[in-house]
Amino acid sequence: MKSIAFGQYYPSNSIMHRLDPRMKIIMGILYIVTCFLCKNVITFGILALSALLLIIISKIPIKIVLRSIKAIIFIMIFTAILNIFWTKGEDYELLLSWRFINIYSSGLYNAAFIVIRIVSMIIGTGIFLTYTTTPIQLTDGLEQLLSPLKVLKVPVHEFAMMMTIALRFIPTIIEETEKIMAAQKARGADFSNGSLVKRAKALIPVLIPLFISSFRRAGELATAMTCRCYRGGKGRTRLNVLRFSFKDFVALFLVIAFGTGIVLLNIYAPGYTM
Amino acid sequence: MSKLTVENVSFIYSAGTPFEVKALDGVSVNIEANRITGIIGHTGSGKSTLVQMFNGLIRPTEGRILLDGEDIWADAKKISAVRYRVGLVMQYPEYQLFEETVEADIAYGPKNMGLDEAEITQRVIESAKFVGLEEQDLKKSPFDLSGGQKRRAAIAGIMAMRPEVLVLDEPSAGLDPAGKKSIFEGIRKYAEATGAAVIIVSHSMDDMAKYCEDIIVMSHSRVAMTGKRNEIFSRGDELEAIGLGVPQMTYLMRLLAQRGINLPQDIFTVDDAEAAIIELFGGAK
Ligand SMILES: Nc1ncnc2c1ncn2[C@@H]1O[C@H](COP(=O)(O)OP(=O)(O)O)[C@@H](O)[C@H]1O
Ligand SMILES: [Mg+2]
Repeated sequence: MKSIAFGQYYPSNSIMHRLDPRMKIIMGILYIVTCFLCKNVITFGILALSALLLIIISKIPIKIVLRSIKAIIFIMIFTAILNIFWTKGEDYELLLSWRFINIYSSGLYNAAFIVIRIVSMIIGTGIFLTYTTTPIQLTDGLEQLLSPLKVLKVPVHEFAMMMTIALRFIPTIIEETEKIMAAQKARGADFSNGSLVKRAKALIPVLIPLFISSFRRAGELATAMTCRCYRGGKGRTRLNVLRFSFKDFVALFLVIAFGTGIVLLNIYAPGYTM
Repeated sequence: MSKLTVENVSFIYSAGTPFEVKALDGVSVNIEANRITGIIGHTGSGKSTLVQMFNGLIRPTEGRILLDGEDIWADAKKISAVRYRVGLVMQYPEYQLFEETVEADIAYGPKNMGLDEAEITQRVIESAKFVGLEEQDLKKSPFDLSGGQKRRAAIAGIMAMRPEVLVLDEPSAGLDPAGKKSIFEGIRKYAEATGAAVIIVSHSMDDMAKYCEDIIVMSHSRVAMTGKRNEIFSRGDELEAIGLGVPQMTYLMRLLAQRGINLPQDIFTVDDAEAAIIELFGGAK
């Protein structure tokens, strides 16, 4: 259970969680491309609605999604301000003019568009990939999507295996770190007070045992894999074979239809265009 | 007044996430000085969580921990002082060794306490003696020791702080019988020499029977029974009902009684059993 608690994965039984990870990777990419195709008020409005719809479909609490948006709120505000002040739109209404500052209505539009685009991209990648797909499923999906590259001698399987092992051990190592920190605290270690140098020094009794146990674990894992005849990706079959089902194709169709709709609306809908 | 009192303590891991686990649910126990108390219960019953409360490594979601009648969380800034008074040896403590020599590693705790050199040296020698580490082992790297010796070095590291309450989480897990014996003897020596309250977590009924005077039985995040050793082990049926069983010698005595061999039923260790059987045959040793 702990191994999937890592990262942003949020367990739930929504349809989004049950889609094939390969399809979700493709849909995620298509959705991000669509974010960049939007050009006017109507298409950006639809994009914002679609992001909301994605959250609802995947049954992820809005609170959790907002947390990841909060992480980049400053970048967003910064880009919005840049757009407001620096958009030169002589053809558009001048809303405010003070010394060298000129704010045009086009600037406000651009700022709003950029914010919607960034937020939708974050929600899109989150919903299609990290929130609804475990890291292990993601690497599996990626490995299979990239497997044609094997022809070009790209060691796709080896990279995927490295990723899988790394992901598998991150929670273990976090747990181990917590245990060692607790053990040293029991001997009076203090990680939260004192100067920076003092706090860095306090970490030595944690890092040394952590390195030693990581090397030991790596050795043991290598032995265990060798004992079970692991010898790379060639001819290796898998326990959970990914199979596309009808709902995967329906989902893909919907995303493509959505992108096409946006492109058409860009052409025919009136109003300010970015 | 008890040395350590746990008052109606509850604890939830990962509270507020889908991974919530209620590890302790309304636990109350009293731990006395000058005695060895055993905490027993199957895996996941909350033993480790409970003992990490004793020295303030985790803070109860609900309830209080009293040391000599004072709430250890009354002033959160003074929690490190509590950690010197309540020494906790965590499960598999050998993974916390980090210094270049065993000596330096044992000295880590006392050094953090701010003791002077002479006092530290004396405590290192003293605690190494408790656990039976040789003089020449002290100069070695902890990573060159055997598994059992590493474990003993780690325990000595806590004993060197000379805690008034010594808590050990499964100190004998994964050791051979000889290694087990030397660790328990070391713990007993510490208890006798200092009069500390000693708490041992284990799931071996036989070790509990041999070394502990009081027993606390945990089951599903709650305290199922507390009492003197003899009281607890005489309630064999209840222990079996929560999946724990009784010491092997107690079980043997029961089987013999069923076949009509009349032996006392309050036998818990091999030594007691030996004495009882010799007496049955009317012989002296
Ligand atoms: N760090 C942790 N995070 C989440 N859950 C935990 C953690 N430690 C223990 N638990 C859970 O709390 C419960 C009690 O665990 P623990 O106190 O370790 O029991 P014991 O020591 O008796 O085996 C178990 O269900 C365990 O899975
Ligand atoms: Mg435990």
